[in-house]
Amino acid sequence: MSTGGHNRATAAGRLSMLLGALSVPAFVGVWELIARSRIVNAVLFPPPSTVAVAILDWIHSGQFVGDLSASLFRVTMGFLIGTTGGIMLGVLTGRFRLVSSLLSPLFHILRPIPPIAFVPIVILWFGLSEAGKLFLVVWGVFFTVWLATHIGVQKVDRGLIRAALMLGTPRRQMLTEIVLLGALPYIVVGLRTAVSISFYTLVAAELAGAFAGIVYRIEIAQQNMQTGQVMGGLAALGLLSFVADRSFAAIAERAVWWR
Amino acid sequence: MVAMMHTPLRPTSPLRLVDAQPEPSSTAPEAIIRVEDLSIVFDVPRGAVIAVDRVSLAVMPGEFVSLVGPSGCGKSTLLNAMAGLERPFEGEITVAGKPMLAPRPDIGMVFQQPHLFPWKSVRRNIAHGPRALGKSKTEALRIADDLIDMIGLTKFASAYPHTLSGGMQQRVAIARALANQPRVLLMDEPFGALDAQTRAVMQDNLLELRDRINATIVFVTHDIDEAILLSDRVLIMSAGPGRILRDLSVALPRPRSSAILTDPAYLALKRDCLDLIRTEGRKAFEQMER
Repeated sequence: MSTGGHNRATAAGRLSMLLGALSVPAFVGVWELIARSRIVNAVLFPPPSTVAVAILDWIHSGQFVGDLSASLFRVTMGFLIGTTGGIMLGVLTGRFRLVSSLLSPLFHILRPIPPIAFVPIVILWFGLSEAGKLFLVVWGVFFTVWLATHIGVQKVDRGLIRAALMLGTPRRQMLTEIVLLGALPYIVVGLRTAVSISFYTLVAAELAGAFAGIVYRIEIAQQNMQTGQVMGGLAALGLLSFVADRSFAAIAERAVWWR
Repeated sequence: MVAMMHTPLRPTSPLRLVDAQPEPSSTAPEAIIRVEDLSIVFDVPRGAVIAVDRVSLAVMPGEFVSLVGPSGCGKSTLLNAMAGLERPFEGEITVAGKPMLAPRPDIGMVFQQPHLFPWKSVRRNIAHGPRALGKSKTEALRIADDLIDMIGLTKFASAYPHTLSGGMQQRVAIARALANQPRVLLMDEPFGALDAQTRAVMQDNLLELRDRINATIVFVTHDIDEAILLSDRVLIMSAGPGRILRDLSVALPRPRSSAILTDPAYLALKRDCLDLIRTEGRKAFEQMER
């Protein structure tokens, strides 16, 4: 009986693997059929083959590399700046009551405003410059990372801090080692959320007006009714944030190295 | 002469001999820990609680003293004050002649929980103190390796704390506290969270370790057997507010082992302690009832 159960288990496992492998091709196939069957307007709803051609054209024209690097630059720089600021201020507000009294109320008021709502004022402040786009991504990332760090620092085991105090740990090492590493598990969760936030603030930033970028390309294609290109852009954006999230998850698992 | 009187004198200073009024203690050896009229008060939502009430005590260099009492009697608070983790409300604590205002590396502490740094290996946990005090990495690691051998965890030097058992973690915590070569080692129910078997082994280990290190030890526990087995002196505390009720010296020969647990002298001492604690416990309970 046990072998029968084993066989059933492996059969179920194989079926699930097969279905997993079919998931995307089946979706693309159905899409292709519907788009070609003239049930829908093929101009508005182009088949995958048309999208593929549009993507190849995008790559061959050389614009793809420019768009990709522009978007990647905004996301990475914005993420790094926002994250650094968030962690630094989170450690300060989490550890020092006076700093927290000064800043936390302000941050709690600003934090719930969706970053996208800042697009109009950012255009007035920065025009169509890169600084404006960076500002939006930084703004989006900062509060999430700040809050995660702030909470993490407050949850650091007081016993660890007392033990470190008794061993003569200097103030600076207390912040940079005991408090920061003690809060690291929380910070990492905040950073992972910040990765997806940085992508959707990127969308807002590029829609607000840019000269290159994946979302910028989508918008231009939309204005020219190049729906294949629009969908190609969406696919590229999806793939990019998927890869970013997965690689961050892999890094995060190793970041808390002692677990 | 007048000018000299205004300069602060170190306790060991020969100038003390010309003091107009020599202190009575000048002939006896100097206490390493001196607690004088210490009171500690905690603010609570409805007023204040006196945790420690005008406690005075002295611990001589090399002595092993236990503080025993019912839970909530302020024994841990008193120990924390000796560690510089708790500020006196009134009175004064001096350790090695200097008033305690903040934690000092010449005073080591072992808590009920090991509180090891989870991101550091056993070796680096123990090396933390010497590194924090500015020793070189090689020197700090050498100190750590010696202590690891001493606590018998050589095989686990590069293990992370969460992979060790509770008893092993607590041994690392003791080694970490000893790495700074403290003159005073404060222990706050260090074996309280361990199972009975491990606790017995740890007590024997501590007795052995004590012969090798040169520290004065103040040990908080609510386990009377443990207190008598380990100590030269047992201070029994009363509950709410915390006071020292009785100062019993344990005149049992050393080296000791758990074999003394059946010694008549030991049993007599234990009966004294239990009687005191039982009366105190009842008083505290009745106070709470009221």
